[in-house]
Amino acid sequence: MLEARRLTLRRGERALIDDLSLTAACGELTLIVGPNGAGKSTLLSLLSGLTPPTSGDLRLAGRDVRTLSARDLARLRAVVEQEPGWQPGFNAAELVMMGGYLQGGSRNGWREAMRLMQCDALAKRQLETLSGGERQRVHLARALWQLMSSGESQRFWLLDEPTAALDFGLADALLAEVRALAQTLRLGVVAVVHDLNLAWRHADQILLMESGRGAAFGPPGEIMQKDRLEALYGVRLAELISHDEQLRAFVPLAEPRTRD
Amino acid sequence: MRLLPFVVLMSAVIALTAGTALTLTPDGRPEPLLALFSGNLPPIERELLWQLRLPRQLLAFTAGALLAAAGGAIQARFKNPLAEPGLIGISGGAALSAALALQCGLPTPWVPLAAFGGGLAALGLTSLMSRPGTDGDRLILAGIAVNAIFGSLLTILIATLPDGSLRTITFWLMGSFANADWPQAERFVIAAPILLWLLFREWRLLNALQLGAATAFHLGFDVRRGGARVVLLAALATALVVSHCGMVGFVGLMAPHLARQLVGSHARRLQIAAPLLGGWLALLADWLAHSLIYPAELPVGVITSLAGAPFFLWLLWQSNRRRRHA
Repeated sequence: MLEARRLTLRRGERALIDDLSLTAACGELTLIVGPNGAGKSTLLSLLSGLTPPTSGDLRLAGRDVRTLSARDLARLRAVVEQEPGWQPGFNAAELVMMGGYLQGGSRNGWREAMRLMQCDALAKRQLETLSGGERQRVHLARALWQLMSSGESQRFWLLDEPTAALDFGLADALLAEVRALAQTLRLGVVAVVHDLNLAWRHADQILLMESGRGAAFGPPGEIMQKDRLEALYGVRLAELISHDEQLRAFVPLAEPRTRD
Repeated sequence: MRLLPFVVLMSAVIALTAGTALTLTPDGRPEPLLALFSGNLPPIERELLWQLRLPRQLLAFTAGALLAAAGGAIQARFKNPLAEPGLIGISGGAALSAALALQCGLPTPWVPLAAFGGGLAALGLTSLMSRPGTDGDRLILAGIAVNAIFGSLLTILIATLPDGSLRTITFWLMGSFANADWPQAERFVIAAPILLWLLFREWRLLNALQLGAATAFHLGFDVRRGGARVVLLAALATALVVSHCGMVGFVGLMAPHLARQLVGSHARRLQIAAPLLGGWLALLADWLAHSLIYPAELPVGVITSLAGAPFFLWLLWQSNRRRRHA
């Protein structure tokens, strides 16, 4: 279990994250959504242990993150940032292998991580020859290999906008794959996404953020209410529901309203 | 290129360069390599070879290798392809400190230690001016400023020396392997493999740092402590070279870059390929410095800077182009 209780991050007078609580279970996909500047990426940085909170409590698998070394932390969680760094002169396999540098793990386990992320065909390609989306997948495989080689029973995969470089078909497919992996490998996945409809379709839980605070947290059906979203995003929405009521989508309409 | 063919090829090139330079006669004519082994060399030539040229070559090669390994490590640490021990102030600080130590009459074995302290102090100043841990170009700008300060102080110091000859100034500012003797060469032959090995051992960290400090942390590396270890080792290697050979610029910049073009960015390959290339570049530069205007001699730093400065500009141009296309 990932448990964040009353997390707050202050920079001067301003609270970037304000009294935010969240729990994420292994085997589930928790998606963080909210307007630009709501603090989604900052929250992910707190959850990853990179940025220490000003106050509040963060536990991964019952262990206080403040007491964990970088190495111990790396066994419990792996992170793919919004624009993960890369360097020309490495091939994709070499990047994926970095996930297991400190963990050991089986010699060829990284191949399985690449296969699971469906990028094993890219293994020998130089990073500078890959598209943004391909490189994103290789980074996902790198983080997945980090978790697969860790040997811990509870592991968390933290992803900052993993669909940003993808077209809408690929984005949908990626989130479906990530959710399936969360279930089969018992990973707790916490990811930031921008697209409400993707969140609605794939999330087990959604955290809706507004100005650093958690505006709502729970299963998609409860969270994705038209009125709430209109107020949050300051825009009029049309809600489309399929005949069998299995699919719902929100479409933003022109003439933005002022936010209240 | 794979590492093994590269190492074999480089070894051949190094052997050829060293062989040619070793057997260069005083009037600039290369002696046939075989004469070295035939035992037909006149005693004076034999003496010249064993007492002057061989230690000089060993010093040049190991110094070049150390500068290249330090450059590769610094470039990875700060994720900046333009960083090198000279450009971020380590060399300037080390040179000033070594000159100060010599002027104060410190015993010779303490000079490298003083150079090391000076190198670290300069590095500390550079980091302070560019905010610690920054990846960007500020580090280079701060390094240029720090280098300028230390360079000026060094010139003042040397000018105030009672017998402050031009030769001493050029030795520190432009570097030279001409003062090499066996005790120096032995020191390097022992110290260089140890330092090169210690830097090589950090290949995992160096690879991770090339993805940025945050990603390296996420992968489980203690970036602050590991980064400091890498910088200390690079400073030690640089200070050792500067304290014995003066400032030999640009080898630490050129060698890792050429190595990256040939064997890729993976630090496990790079930290083998770059020292080989660096050693060879220093050897070649020393040979040119020694023979271009024979019987006079150029400071070796003139040759490395002559090749290195345009190389640096080319890198700048390349990185600008990459930024425009990104």
